[in-house]
Amino acid sequence: MDAFHIPGGRRTPEITFDPVTHCHSLAGESFPEDTASFYEPVFDWLEAYLKDVPAGQTVAFNIAVPYFNSSSAKILMDLFSLLEETSEGGAEIVVNWLYDADDEATLEYGEEFAEEVSAFTFNMVARSD
Amino acid sequence: MGRPVKRQCREGSPGLVWGEKGEAKAMNEMSEFAREMSSLRKNLLGSGVMFCFSGYMTEDVLAGVREALRDKLILEEASKTTIRSVISLFVELAQNVVRYSAEREAREDVEPVLDLRYGVMTMGRDQGRYFVACGNLITAADADRLSRELTHIASLNADELKALYRKILKGDAPEGSKGAGVGLVEIARRSSEAILFDFSEESEDRTFFVLKAFV
Repeated sequence: MDAFHIPGGRRTPEITFDPVTHCHSLAGESFPEDTASFYEPVFDWLEAYLKDVPAGQTVAFNIAVPYFNSSSAKILMDLFSLLEETSEGGAEIVVNWLYDADDEATLEYGEEFAEEVSAFTFNMVARSD
Repeated sequence: MGRPVKRQCREGSPGLVWGEKGEAKAMNEMSEFAREMSSLRKNLLGSGVMFCFSGYMTEDVLAGVREALRDKLILEEASKTTIRSVISLFVELAQNVVRYSAEREAREDVEPVLDLRYGVMTMGRDQGRYFVACGNLITAADADRLSRELTHIASLNADELKALYRKILKGDAPEGSKGAGVGLVEIARRSSEAILFDFSEESEDRTFFVLKAFV
């Protein structure tokens, strides 16, 4: 399976998925003009990748999205639901929610997502300058 | 520049005589225009308006204005949480205009498709808090739906809003909604006081919709 990469845009995050290291990242602001179309290939790739992840494999997602609009919030929730399903298949999923240490709003959004997650590890990771 | 004009006196404007090339007329009109623009500016500043837009809102306009508002708030040394909330309100309201304004000029026979949606937006500061507001025409069907949704949202407290937000994020988008249907709930959640909204019927199928939120 090939790696997946979308460079960051003015309204969209940089997305890098690596099926070799199983370390993935989503970084940057997200308020696409057409949220569903932008994220469709992202989910196509992820679904194909996640169904073949071997049990016991650690899979890490580093998510650093300092701003996302409401339709992107729905996408993030869809992502976490997909990861819940995958972890039930035995993969060790870890999400690292990265936020700037002085950015309480992004921390709170992350904590709200974490409340929805029970099957995998959801870490809050503060970054300082 | 300027075509020659007949020398003539303007009634009611003693002393103002058009020049051979119309300079005096131009100056007179210019100063009227300057007065109009100056009074528009003063009125807006007097109401605390930092940003005002009336025209076709597009995703690129939205992205550019968003950056300017963010920079302005950084210069004012607003907290990251305040900036996040103001920006969030601005984007949700502007995307509402882009998606739902019924004052629209569109052509679908060209590539890319042209689709312009007209709306009014303001952002500013009064009584110690920031406000973000939008106004645009919507269809009667959207007015019914928005009125129902907003009346419901306005009746909810913070915990109930959070529960509704979570429910919409985990479920399917409501019918007829091009976003996640969660935008209005996000607006109500980010607003530090009750959101204001109103509808006024302009014609059988057009209603003017306004919404204002605060941080």
